[in-house]
Amino acid sequence: MVVITTKKPEEEVFEALNNFKVKNILVVSCGVCAALCQTGGTEGAEEWSEKLKERGFNVTNAIVSDDVCDNRVMKKDLRKIDDDVKKSDAILTLSCGLGVQSIIEVLTKTHPEIPVFTANNTEFMGMTERIGRFYMRCKGCGDCLLNETGGICPFTTCAKALMNGPCGGMVDGKCEVGNYEKDCGWILIYNRLKELGRLDLFSKLRDPLDWSKIGHQREVVWR
Amino acid sequence: MTEVKTYSKLGEALSKGEFILTGELEPEKTTDLSHTIQEAKEMAPYVIAANVTDSPLGIVTINSMAATHLIQKAAGLECVWQMTVRDVNKLGIAGMIMGAHALGIRNVLSLTGDHPFLGDMPESKPVFDLDSATLIKLVREMVDNGSINGNEIEAPPTLHVGAAANPNAEPMGAEILKIGRKAEAGAEFIQTQVVYDLDRTIEFLSEIKKYKVPVLLGIFPMKSYGIAKGFDTFVPGVSVPKEILAKWKSVKKEVTDKKQQKELYDQYNYEFFKPFVTELRNKNLLDGIHCMAVHYPRIFPKLKDIIGN
Repeated sequence: MVVITTKKPEEEVFEALNNFKVKNILVVSCGVCAALCQTGGTEGAEEWSEKLKERGFNVTNAIVSDDVCDNRVMKKDLRKIDDDVKKSDAILTLSCGLGVQSIIEVLTKTHPEIPVFTANNTEFMGMTERIGRFYMRCKGCGDCLLNETGGICPFTTCAKALMNGPCGGMVDGKCEVGNYEKDCGWILIYNRLKELGRLDLFSKLRDPLDWSKIGHQREVVWR
Repeated sequence: MTEVKTYSKLGEALSKGEFILTGELEPEKTTDLSHTIQEAKEMAPYVIAANVTDSPLGIVTINSMAATHLIQKAAGLECVWQMTVRDVNKLGIAGMIMGAHALGIRNVLSLTGDHPFLGDMPESKPVFDLDSATLIKLVREMVDNGSINGNEIEAPPTLHVGAAANPNAEPMGAEILKIGRKAEAGAEFIQTQVVYDLDRTIEFLSEIKKYKVPVLLGIFPMKSYGIAKGFDTFVPGVSVPKEILAKWKSVKKEVTDKKQQKELYDQYNYEFFKPFVTELRNKNLLDGIHCMAVHYPRIFPKLKDIIGN
């Protein structure tokens, strides 16, 4: 699994930095998911360092870190370059949204005054076909239906996230959203369950998702 | 035998096994319903009820519940309130069902609704908390049990709830199983998508007969060549037969007198749909027809002639 990111338009990033009137920037680049998505990694760190310098910013350091989203790794990596952190009045992160928030949480006691920016948009947690081809197959609803739907998620693949599809917007197995180019999720489920000889599962009338279980600010805390 | 409770003329006619005709009204992006009410008045002598659409194609119009109420009041025509699950969550829909009853609405057609991305407010949040089957289940719980989530409703609503079905859907097997779910949820009638292909319709209706839900066949008489061509081009998954298009085109090209043109279109619609409906009826596959041609109220006397009562 990879958290898929894409690059924000450059001007949007510079606008955010200029809005905060920051000058000295520390670049923190993700060496895992963002590296795979070519939105971070060593190349990203070098690319952004150059761009920042060209626009008159001072780059205090540019590091590539494994697991920017892991508080433990981030704490260790930032401690090593604390002198550079102290010289920085902003951090630009080349990672997913988790990375940004991980850095904020790690620095909350030592450097709460430093704003953390992102150069990326976080798209989804993705399945990788190959580099440059990533697909959303799961939205992490917290109440997995896959055992009943032939292993295909209706919450993700149906444009309306219906529990009892397909809807009238399906034509020849395609979905009305996106001009009938994408497969209808419920027809994928139908075909898969047919292959498995389990259309009885397709016939089942399903209750709506229970949003009281889906909740917000979800946590998994077991120790 | 359990007595079937009926709350509307439509419900009563269906329970008696009468062969019925329903129409369709499409309120627009306006607060003034006078045109729609006029159409409702024109079709009223011929239909038992008319559907009132809920922002079709995701293009926002006046709210369908408000429109249904106002049309019923002004035209004296019973309506079928079309309710999509696109825009309101379960909590909101439950409130609307009680509100609809309080406004005198006694029939509701449960629909998924076209995705907002297709319409003129694509930035809207698509809700789809329920789907067309679970909306039916909700209505039946509120009406039959007088409760929501097990909580009692002081004065419960009484509405008949219907489902849509698409005989054109491919693969048909998935659509048939889906109708099974809607029947299980408690659908009291079915109105189908528009059909032109008789063989396919026979196959589909024969398959869904096992669910024992009365079926009103969706038809779309075409008031002009432009409408026929537009329908063929822009309605995904439904094709108007080539011979119809050719016939309608010939009327447009060869007949200059507008009055005569209208009469010919009406006559050709009659000639196409009469044998179509009669054959399905003779096979005992139909309980009525649902005419989805909006802004074509003059066709209703001919449709009434087709159903013959």
